[in-house]
This record gives sequence, C-alpha cells and structure tokens, in this order.
Amino acid sequence: MSTRARVVQMEPPAATGGNALLILVGLGVAFLLITALLGAAKTGGPLFNESNLLYVALIFYAGAGALYMGFGVTGVTKYVKVASVATAIGFTANTLAVAHRWYQAGRPPFASIYEMLLSFVWTVAALTLVTEKKLGVKIIGSITMPLAVVCVILMQLLPSEVRPLVPALQSTWLHVHVTLAMLSYAACAVSFALALMFLIKDHFPTETFLALTSGMVSAIYIAIIATRFEKWGGLSVTAWDAKDKSDMFLGRGVRLFVTVPDFGWLFVMAGLAAFVPLAFYVLARVQKNHSYIGIANKAIFIGVLLQVIVLAAFVLRVRDASYPSPFQEGLYPTSLAASPFVLGGLITGVFASLLYLMLLWRRTDLEGLLPSADTLDRVTYKTICVAFPLLTGMIAAGAYWANRTWGSYWSWDPKETWAAITWLVYAGYLHMRVTRGWRGRRAAYFAILGFGVVIFTFLGVTYLLPGLHAYA
Amino acid sequence: MAFDLPSISKRLYKTLANLRTGIVLLILVGIAAALGTIILQRPVTEADQLTAAYSPRTLRLLDRLALTDVFHSWWFLTLLTLLSLSIVLVSIDRFPNAWRFYARPYRKTDSHFRTANPVKVELPVRNAHDGLNAAERAMKKLSWPVERIADGNEVSLYSERHRFSVMAVYLIHASLLLIFLGGIIDGIFGYSGYLMLQKGQTGNVIETRTGAKKTLLFGVKCYSAGQENYADGSPKKWWSKLAVVEGGKEVKTKEIVVNDPLVYRGLRFYQASYGSTGKLDGLKLVATPEGGAGREVILQMNESLDLDPNASVTLAEFIPDFFIRDNQVFKRSDDPVNPAFRLQIKNKATGEQAVQWIFPAYNETSQGQTSNYTFQFRGMQLGYFTGLEVSREPGQWLVWAGCILMGFGLFVAFYMVHMRLWVVAIPDAKGKLVLWIGGQANKNKDRFEQKFIDVVEGIRTELDRASTTPRSAHKDEPELTLVAAK
Repeated sequence: MSTRARVVQMEPPAATGGNALLILVGLGVAFLLITALLGAAKTGGPLFNESNLLYVALIFYAGAGALYMGFGVTGVTKYVKVASVATAIGFTANTLAVAHRWYQAGRPPFASIYEMLLSFVWTVAALTLVTEKKLGVKIIGSITMPLAVVCVILMQLLPSEVRPLVPALQSTWLHVHVTLAMLSYAACAVSFALALMFLIKDHFPTETFLALTSGMVSAIYIAIIATRFEKWGGLSVTAWDAKDKSDMFLGRGVRLFVTVPDFGWLFVMAGLAAFVPLAFYVLARVQKNHSYIGIANKAIFIGVLLQVIVLAAFVLRVRDASYPSPFQEGLYPTSLAASPFVLGGLITGVFASLLYLMLLWRRTDLEGLLPSADTLDRVTYKTICVAFPLLTGMIAAGAYWANRTWGSYWSWDPKETWAAITWLVYAGYLHMRVTRGWRGRRAAYFAILGFGVVIFTFLGVTYLLPGLHAYA
Repeated sequence: MAFDLPSISKRLYKTLANLRTGIVLLILVGIAAALGTIILQRPVTEADQLTAAYSPRTLRLLDRLALTDVFHSWWFLTLLTLLSLSIVLVSIDRFPNAWRFYARPYRKTDSHFRTANPVKVELPVRNAHDGLNAAERAMKKLSWPVERIADGNEVSLYSERHRFSVMAVYLIHASLLLIFLGGIIDGIFGYSGYLMLQKGQTGNVIETRTGAKKTLLFGVKCYSAGQENYADGSPKKWWSKLAVVEGGKEVKTKEIVVNDPLVYRGLRFYQASYGSTGKLDGLKLVATPEGGAGREVILQMNESLDLDPNASVTLAEFIPDFFIRDNQVFKRSDDPVNPAFRLQIKNKATGEQAVQWIFPAYNETSQGQTSNYTFQFRGMQLGYFTGLEVSREPGQWLVWAGCILMGFGLFVAFYMVHMRLWVVAIPDAKGKLVLWIGGQANKNKDRFEQKFIDVVEGIRTELDRASTTPRSAHKDEPELTLVAAK
C-alpha cells in the first residue's frame, strides 16, 4: 500500500483545464509544419516529395506520441482521441511518402534498410489503427507510436537515395519475401504492445515494470559504454564521409572511429543513474522494505532527466563536428548519420522511461481505457496467429529466392538463422498455448521475447552480424 | 540397477514423446543456432580473421567443441535429429485420440454434455417433429449441412463444418519432417561447387568448397558473358550464354542471369561472378605504311596478320601493367592499368624481323623502328571469365513440397474453425417440450457465438412461421420418418 501513497505524492499537479496540452502539441505541430514549409519554399524544391512527407508523418507521429504521454501525465482521456486522429494523419502522410518513393523508383520500396524501415513504419501505423478501431485497444499507440518515431528518426539518418537494384535483388521474390516480412514483423510489434497492455491490465506489479525499464535502459548504456568508451573517458563514434554519404573505413570492413574527448563520462553517469532504480528494487526485494521502491521511482525521474541531457549533448556534439581518431593521425568529421544505433538506443531509453512514468502516474486511468485482460490475451494470441503464418511464408519465399540466386535454399547465414530462431520462439509460444493451455502472463512473456528476437533479426543482425544478406 | 533394455527404450520413448522435451530441444536448437551466428564460423571466414579474433587457446577450445562450425557439427545434427524424432513421437502419441475424435464424431448428445456445454439455447416447441423440421429448414437456409441422427425413438440433428481442421496440426508436423528429409537428402547426396569458364571454353570439373575436384558427366561451354551497368556505374546485370555439351553434341543452350539458372539433369548453374582474366582478347591498332593510308587491324595473341603481301605483324607479348628498368620492360601487376604490347613485324621477302613496343598510356611507341609501318593504339579487349555456382540438390523438391504443405496446413489450422451444432427435442427442467440447440467451436469462439445466434434466430423464425401457417400449407413437405429407428 505504501507504493500507492508514494505514487500519489509523486504525481505532478493536474493540468489546469484539459486543453493545455492539446493547445501546446497543436502549436508545436503547427510550428514544425510551418518551419518545414518555409524551409521547403526557400530551397524551391518540390513541396510534396518523399522526405517532406516523411517529415510530416514524423511530426504527427511525434504529436500522437506526446499526446499519449500527456494522457499518461494528466489522465485526460480526450488526448487519446486526438492522438488517434494525429496517428491517422501521420499514417496518411506516411502512405503518400511510400507511394512517392514507389513512383520515383519505379519499384516497391523494399531494397535497402531505409526502405524496409519505411514500409515497416507504415505497416505498424496501419495495424495500430486497425487494432484501435476494430479491436478496441485504444491506447495501443502509446507503445507503437514511440516505436514509429524511433524508426522514422533512424531513417532520417540512414542513406536514403534511391539506388538501382543490384542483380541479386531483381526478382519478383524480393517483393513477396519483403512484403511478408514487413507484415509479419509489424504484427509481431503489435502483439508485443498488446502483451504489455495485458500485463498492465492483469495487475502486473508496477515495480516489476520499474525493474524491467531500469534494466533495459541500463543494458542500452552498458552496450554503448562497452563498445564505445575509450581511454581517458572519450566516446568513439564512427567517422562520416559527407561526400560519399557513408561511414569511413580504415580497411575492408574496419570502420574508422573518432573519439569525442571526455564525453564518455556523461554516458557512464547516465548509465549509473539508469541502473540506480534497479538496485533499489533489488534492495527492496531483498530487505522486504517497500519504501525503497519510492526512492527508485524518484531515481527513475532523475534518470530520465539525465538521459535527455545525454541525448541533447550527443546530438549537439556529434552533429557535423570533427574529432581526432585513436587509429590514424588527423581530425575526421563525424555526423549523427554515422551513429544511427547509438542515437536509436538513446531515444529508445528515453521513451521506455517516459512510458514507465506514464504507467506510474496513471495506471488506473490506463487500465480503465483497456479492454478486459481476457480480451487482450486473446487478441495477442490472434495477432500471433496472423504473424506466424506470414513469418513462415517469409522464410519459405526467402529460401526459394536464395535457391534461385545463391544456389542453395539454406546456408545458415546469420539473417536466415535468426529468422529461424524467431520462428522457433513463436512456434514454442503456439505449442505452449494450444497444448499446455498457457494463458495470461506466461504467454505475454513469450510474446515480448518473440518481438525482442524480431527486432534483433531485423536491425541487430544487419549491423552486428552481416553475412550474405547484406542489403538489409 | 539391472540393465533392462525394454525399460530403457520405453523410458526414452516416453521422454521423447513428451511435448516438454520437444520444447526443450527447440530451445537448445535455437541457442545453438544463435551461437553459430555469433561465433565466427570456419566455412565462411578466412583463417587469418579467426586467428585475429580469438586467442589460440580460445580458438582451440572452440574448435574442439565444434563451435567454429556449429551447423555441420555432430552435436547440432544430433539435436536436429532428436527434435525431428520428438516431433514424430509426440505426434504418434497424440494421434490415436485425435483420430478417434476425427473418425467418430460425437453426433448425439447426452444429458451430461447438454448440461456442460456452455453455448446453448432452449426454444419451446409444440411437438418434436415440427420443431426438428423447422430447425432443419433454418439450418439448411444458412447452408449448414444437416444430418438426422436416429436412435430408438429419439431423433436429433447434427451439423458440422471443417472437421478436417482438427487434423491440420499433423499436416504441419508432417510438412516439417518433409523439409527436414529434403535437407538430409541434400546433405548426403547433394553437392555444390564452382566452375570458372572463359569465353569459348568448355569445362566439366567443378571445385567444391573444400577444394576437392569433381568431374561432371557432361560439359558446359561458355559462348560469351558480360556485365551491364546502370548510369551510375553500379552493376545492373551479369549474363552468360551457356551450352550443355554431352557426348560431343550440344544438347541445351541458355542465357543465364543472376536469379535465373541453367538446369540440366538436376544440376543447376548459377551466375555467381564475372571478372577480367587479366589476359588479352584482341588489340585494336591502326597500321600506317610509310607514305600510305592507315588501316584498322585487330590482333590476337600470337596470331600473325598480313599487312601487305610482303609484311605481317604478330602480337608477341602483352604486359598489363609495365615498368621500364635498364631499358627492359617488366611486369608490375596483373591490373590492366598501364599496358604494354610487343609487336613483331616480319618482312616476308627478306625474312627480317622488327620489334616494336606500344605503350598506350604514354601515347608513344618504342624507338629504333626498323619496319616501314607505324602503329597507333585504338583500344583493347580484355579476356573475362564467368563464375558459375554449380549445385545439385535432389532433396529440394521435398523441401518445396513441405513448404506448400505447411502453408496449407497453417491456413487450415489457424483460419478454418471446426464448428458443430446439435439440435434435439427434449423436455426441459419443468417438463415442457423444448428444442435444445447447442454448439461448439475449437477456436475463434466469439465469432462462432455470433454464428450460433444467427442459427438460433433462423430456427425461431421458422418455428413462428410454422405455427402461424395452417398445416395444409406444408403438404408437399416430406413426412418425418423414423425408418432408422426400426
């Protein structure tokens, strides 16, 4: 009970009148749109090109995300309705962006990681709207919209020019394979969001969410620090060749890193701050003293502030600056575009923490908006029933295509192998559910794990374990 | 403990036929596969890359555990075999029950079932005969196939859809085994290798990944091959014109491109690479006699060409990338970036031979010309090779069959619902005659409930109509006979 009391204590003052945030977000969206319009008018380029449309989509997705968060902070249900409208507008802009690129390239946008993300975000937004309208899960966007925003921001950094298809990709099977992949991955994303919603509705303890959030954010920082922390507290980032629009390389496959001096310490600090709540959670569990949870919740608040500072500092220091390299004499330029994954990780961390705060402050309101736990459980299962056959089709189409291109339908390439692992995870889920009667939490854990593997297969393998599947 | 073979095998069977074992194996296969992507694998990495990434001790350990070649290791294959075995045994273990359910459907309800089944409705009727007739009409209208079940004096209706969907799961497991079988057949009988051909060359010896040579029963000839580029210089298309030569005859020709191989006798030839051999295939020159007009000639390596009745020229040497030291021409590399050509001009009348060097990059020819011809460089054609990936996968058809079967099975298992309806006229708790209508679906239960309500509404409408219309209106309707009850 003491948590509840503390929760109430920590709650920020309720917004005066429900419209404050609506006006704020509306103004923000309008301001960004006008700035973008002026920018486009000044350069004299065409107004409705893909990157402008995508920017509009980003603005509206972010606006929707902000409103979902705003709902979390204030509990005004009106925000959810407006957020849904913003999602729909963003989706329209996103559709036009996809169409424009399709028209411009003369082929569906499936040929690079940028184009895949474009299609992925589109499918996620589409499924979000479907889940919201048809299945009545109104606040699913509070998880899928941040995901969409992270993806669109990543896309702004990835090389986006339309490249002609290399010979291996000139196949009808490309379209079959990628369409199935995007559909199934987006369905997995929605099942993940639904599983989280289920846990909320199922009275999954808030402090366990606290531990999970803190653990995840700490993991992100540990991953960054472990791979990027240099001697004397510097932080390495990949050098960027602005002319070629690509990373700089020392040799074949060896990237050139530059070091931002003393910047690593800030990351260590934020990482520690992200870890503190988890430590207090463990302390509370070990000593059975619930008051530590209250401290942990305060710590997460400080953690978010530090994470935002790190994010801002990262953007400011890494954007178009030059730093020395530890491997080669001289100063080399870098850019945000060279570190999409560090940036993506930082933004994901901020969003995850904000989502947790939303849960902490507005859990009852959130639960009020959700359908029954039973419904959520069933809808999660149904989404996976859609995702799994699509996943199977994606692997089969990929195998058939590989057989026509590489001469072998299965070569244990990392991407292939991880797709198979994803398939195994969901196959396990289905077996446990159908024959062992797994319902509720255990099934939800499985759905969450499944999406973790999907994200690793989609993005992780591309950057960490490149193989034959080098296009995306 | 006594060594008891039957008991051990029974235990083994019980363990493997347990779904939990299957799931554990599934997880183990997943972990092993993940390790195989994280640890560098010998078949796809250069040896020096491995030594750079791991210390000798770690590498020795990884090698001993076969972690540097997970996907071909005995323990990974054992895991896969155990998993397949588990799938088979679990399926066998569960099959009899499922088959009983499938082969002998539960058509006639008893009172226990009627109490326990949650989806049910009771409608009051005047007599059993009219009630069942009305129900049958309503169900047929909604295109439910209706069966009349007679048992003694009691007649009831039974209807079901998509009964086969309960067997779909066996279809899926069978298809998985089919795919595994295809993979095993290819692992044992299949092979793959590489064949490099130059223009005009015929080859029948392929080199496998391990470096071993394998001779094919027929040869493949490359007529020509080439590359087309996009405007930005990136490759758009690689192609090769190939012919199959068997017993000295050409039996098949095809122009292959990436994504479209040549298939002959179960062997597939894929366009895998294309490149320059560093050798010359034609030098274009303008030969000008003293005081005469120049003419264009194309020279091949070591072939002599008559310039006039008295003189002939031979391309005697080609150096792709030259340098000069001590007045001698040497080769620096195989890259054709700075070529040099040595021509021999022969005077047929006198038998005199003159030597002339051509260095196109410097736009000059060598000093000390003794022939009465001058030569100007116009262009050169380099020899190229086409790299063909050759593979034989006799099991692939099983794999594709398995994929199609699995797609079908998944569709049936996930989207076809086994729905059942029972209608029987019984007295209700108060002893009044009612039409008991019950239903069951094996999945998607909320959707089924809607369908069930439709059926009930249909029956209610039919019952109302039957009670308001005079009986004579139904004269042409067949009488309900209880023939089966005799």
